[in-house]
Amino acid sequence: MQIGRIHSWKKVTAQLLLLALPTVILALYLLLNVNQYYSVLQNNWLEQGLYFTTGIVAAIVFYGYRFRFTTTALLLFLTYFIAYKFLGRLNIGEFDAFFFSVRFLVFSLLFSAGWLAGYGFSRSRYFTILWSVFLLVMQIIVVSKTAEITANALISAFAPVLVYAFYIIYTAELIRNMNEDEAAFGWFITKRLAGFISLAVIVLFALLLIFQKEFNSIEQDWGGSQGGKKNGGKESMTKQNKDGSLSNKDQMKMTGSLSKDKRLVFVAKLDNFFPDGVTPNPLYFTSTYYTKFDTLTQTFETDTSLPFNDLFTPDPSKIPLYFAKTDTSAITNTMATLNRKVVSADIYKVLLSPKEYIAPSTAFFCQPLPVENEYKNQFKSAYRAKMWVSDLNSAYFIYNPAGNKQLEAFQEKRFDLLRKATSYQGLDKKFMDYYTFMPSNEEYNRIRILAEQITKDAKTPVDKMIAIRNYFTGKDQFGQPLFKYSDNPGIPGLPSASKLNYFLFENRKGYCAYYAGATLFLLRSLGIPSRIAAGFLTVDRSSKNPGWYWFYADQAHAWVQLYFPGFGWIDFDTTVPDQNTQQSPQPDGTPPMNTQQALMVADGQAVSVDTVAKRVIMKVKSLLYHDENIPAPAPKDLLMDVSIASVTRDTGAGKLSDIKTGTNIVAVSYAEALKNIMANETDNLASLLVKLPKPAPIDEIKIMENEEQKKERQKQESTATKPIDWVKVLWISLLVIGGFIVLLFALPWLIWLYLNGKAKSKTEPRTKAYHIYTASMYYLNQVGIIRENQSPQQYAEAADRRFGSNFNSFANVYQKVKYSNTPLRPAEETLVQNFYSPFIQRVKNNIPFKERLGGFLNIYNTLHFFTKTKNS
Amino acid sequence: MEQDIQIDEALTNIQKLVDNIETVIRGKRKQIQFILTALLAKGHILMEDNPGTGKTVMAKTLAQSISGRTNEGGVNFKRIQFTPDLLPMDLIGSHIFDDVKKEFIFKKGPLFCNVLLADEINRASPKVQSALLECMAEHQITMGETTYPLEKMFFTIATQNPVEMEGTYPLPAAQLDRFFIKIIFGYVDEETELDIYNNYLGIANNLEHIQQVLSMEEILFLQDEAERVFIHEEIVKAVRNIIWDTRRTSDIVLGASTRSGITFLKCLKAFALVNGRTFVTEDDLQQITPAVLDHRLIYRNKDAKAKSLAAILDKEMDRLSKLRIGMRA
Repeated sequence: MQIGRIHSWKKVTAQLLLLALPTVILALYLLLNVNQYYSVLQNNWLEQGLYFTTGIVAAIVFYGYRFRFTTTALLLFLTYFIAYKFLGRLNIGEFDAFFFSVRFLVFSLLFSAGWLAGYGFSRSRYFTILWSVFLLVMQIIVVSKTAEITANALISAFAPVLVYAFYIIYTAELIRNMNEDEAAFGWFITKRLAGFISLAVIVLFALLLIFQKEFNSIEQDWGGSQGGKKNGGKESMTKQNKDGSLSNKDQMKMTGSLSKDKRLVFVAKLDNFFPDGVTPNPLYFTSTYYTKFDTLTQTFETDTSLPFNDLFTPDPSKIPLYFAKTDTSAITNTMATLNRKVVSADIYKVLLSPKEYIAPSTAFFCQPLPVENEYKNQFKSAYRAKMWVSDLNSAYFIYNPAGNKQLEAFQEKRFDLLRKATSYQGLDKKFMDYYTFMPSNEEYNRIRILAEQITKDAKTPVDKMIAIRNYFTGKDQFGQPLFKYSDNPGIPGLPSASKLNYFLFENRKGYCAYYAGATLFLLRSLGIPSRIAAGFLTVDRSSKNPGWYWFYADQAHAWVQLYFPGFGWIDFDTTVPDQNTQQSPQPDGTPPMNTQQALMVADGQAVSVDTVAKRVIMKVKSLLYHDENIPAPAPKDLLMDVSIASVTRDTGAGKLSDIKTGTNIVAVSYAEALKNIMANETDNLASLLVKLPKPAPIDEIKIMENEEQKKERQKQESTATKPIDWVKVLWISLLVIGGFIVLLFALPWLIWLYLNGKAKSKTEPRTKAYHIYTASMYYLNQVGIIRENQSPQQYAEAADRRFGSNFNSFANVYQKVKYSNTPLRPAEETLVQNFYSPFIQRVKNNIPFKERLGGFLNIYNTLHFFTKTKNS
Repeated sequence: MEQDIQIDEALTNIQKLVDNIETVIRGKRKQIQFILTALLAKGHILMEDNPGTGKTVMAKTLAQSISGRTNEGGVNFKRIQFTPDLLPMDLIGSHIFDDVKKEFIFKKGPLFCNVLLADEINRASPKVQSALLECMAEHQITMGETTYPLEKMFFTIATQNPVEMEGTYPLPAAQLDRFFIKIIFGYVDEETELDIYNNYLGIANNLEHIQQVLSMEEILFLQDEAERVFIHEEIVKAVRNIIWDTRRTSDIVLGASTRSGITFLKCLKAFALVNGRTFVTEDDLQQITPAVLDHRLIYRNKDAKAKSLAAILDKEMDRLSKLRIGMRA
């Protein structure tokens, strides 16, 4: 019996080589990945790949013959079944039997997958599309399950599948349309494939370039940097920017768990000492205040419109070195006059974002400082901050000063002072309303009742605060701590339930955000103005360098501040110490040495840079000379010798070649040569610069980011802060694919627009005839009137029969234009000019819109028009 | 008189001729065009089909439609039924002794006519076949020392019966080459068939009263004119490509010869005239290629016969349809 063939051997070979081979390679790659991701005990990817290969090759060869799918597939399953039964009867050990049946299951699954794929490639036209979508979805699932997500992993997971998807759809169609009888068939395929591959490489490269940032930000967001396993509702007290630096966030959520790490964020020297002048008094470093509470998301948020705003938020990266920025309104707004003094702090940033300004409460001054050369690798940038600090404030305010008599005495003294502030009468009403606001409903009433119960014996606000603190640190009837610290407190069973109530009444476990949030509402329910401060808690571990403090990422913290009339905002921390984790002593390094006294600081723009001769000319806009601000009525150029100068930027050390014409720079000089050149009272910028040696010796240049770069970075950073989960990756990949598909479907129409425009715009009869003919043929083809093997005339006649048009007459004129040596007659020219629009209109009227739309959405029609399907 | 014939009028008349023949032979416009193409290309045609598809009527109608010198007004039309015992003499004629003049005189055979219908040519012996083909090619008959020229307009319509192959002598490829065009007459479509049944009396009547729309002079003029039809070099190139491809394709054992190519060009030009044009288009190429080339090629197998020439033509048509020629810059 002879079984008829559906595909010739040539076609089957082409399918095997061009479709099956890449599929097998991809399958091997995927199997390898799957085996690794799921950490399968026995890594049998090669063997599994072989099963798949056998399936696909067998199916392609098999379905090259005229076999029906349903019957053959049933037969296949019957074979599986018999083989399975047979395996069961084999007299082998129980374990072996199980092992064998698992092996057999894997084999039959993979073989069937290969078989199905082979059948699809052999027979089904649309199979490749389904197949590609299936593979992509598989890949997305696999990726979503991986623990470590890096940009490279993402690319290596998706790129092969994407490339394969486009390749297989294209090639399958190519093979389907190929003419096996054509002599140069091999060359035809090679040519097309080469074209396709080069295009694919270009597209992929472009995509990678465009999406690289996205990939990186995904890596930042869920990559290994935050450590540990990926966890759904993970929250961190800080946020990580794109460049890897840290900032405080503008909101604080209460979630199931908190992630922390031990990286050094910044180092600070704080000139705050107890009255004895020797014992350092550490202060919490504030970054921002959370004054608002979003009841819906149960999130504490910053509020830019807070009344009596005493938060000073300069951007240190924008201020030139040594130039200071001051905002005394912060001092005014604290409404604090008692026991206050000005304290200064030097902050040296390590991981902290260059634009971040962090200092103890009520800062009003910021002066960027250069970092000494030998510390440049460690510290990216530095600034000096000055604060309006209360004597009564201290980081020791919560930590039990047990044993330290001096501290205990200090505590008591402070409480006594604060007890004097008893009444909030006479305070601004707006201020009071704002800082004592709390939502009122059943849940918050419960907090109110608790607050009154806790503080029933306390008279003054500070006593109430102490009572609340004692409540949190208190013990229950069994002598166990009532509240515990936990980074993973869990969440209430009901998602909408109040997390604060859950914390206060049921769970009694949490991290700083819970304690601060609960304390805030306990205080506010008692009418005590309060707010949450976020920043870093300060631990005094340094015995050899008094006044120096080291801040690690796990010191990011939130606590409450209470307002005492006259004394202002005072820090209180109610978070109980973490009993479970052994606080490993953080090593303190060497603090950066005191900076040299700068003799000259010039701020301006680089005009020309000579990297060989080490000369820079800058247009000086403002100048500090011997700590005097020299008046600068007009910018002036200054020639500088930068041969020994070190170049820095916010992100660390830089190069001289980083300075381009127009770059904003600050030049600093400590040179002895300037020591004796004094500025007179009358000197201005121009007259002073004349006195300086030419070129002026410069020791340090700092590159300032200009506004545009700044904006761009802020934009990047704001995108980086958005939470990106794996659904977004799915969306991105779906968008890319979706865009491609939309483009694919719109392509016929776009081509039509182009051809139509050409046909209408040309006027010269011969050229117009060509374009009209092409456009008409394209339109007819697209609406579904396919020119199979008809001659042009037959085709035109067929169209005319259907639409009652005169396409044939026009086609004849076109043929005359093309092949005749005689000029067109006037009648023919008129036909060319008047033919087109009525014809298209007629076709439109004769074909219902639905059918036309369907035709135009069909990319195969377009392919057919340009490649002309070879009928086999 | 020939000077008076206008090309435009002649072209109109040839359309009329097609229409005219179509009143008798329904639904066979394409075949009629092919026959006229062979006629105008000064060639001959081979029709292959089952009996009863209208081949004889076709030939007759053609002869009747051209005004000539016979009593009926048409051109001289002869029909020979080929049989195995037919002798060459029966075709070309023979010398017979004239009692009065006491000499052998040449009695002209049926070949001395304008339109010859050679029915079932494959039934005759190869000898007869070659005699006929010789005459077709040479347009003259040599008997002994005398050469007798055939009619200036001499057109053979040979038919072949594809069924009943027993006891026949199929024409060898070299002989087939002499026919410019081979067509398969084929049955008409269902609707036309019904139409024919409803009107067969009228159709027979049409044959009786067929109009003579074209003179023999006009045919001769058009035959000359066919040589002057403009053929674009791209079309010539296409013909060359097709001929070459038939030689290259492995599915074709014997490709087309150079002579076939020349015949091809002649047919293309004549076909353009039949379609009322004085230039050859890609349309002509597509329509006429199978009719001109198919019988000249020897295919590897049946499958190849069905596909390979179509594939070659497709490729060339594809190339032509994408050309941007004839446009002014």
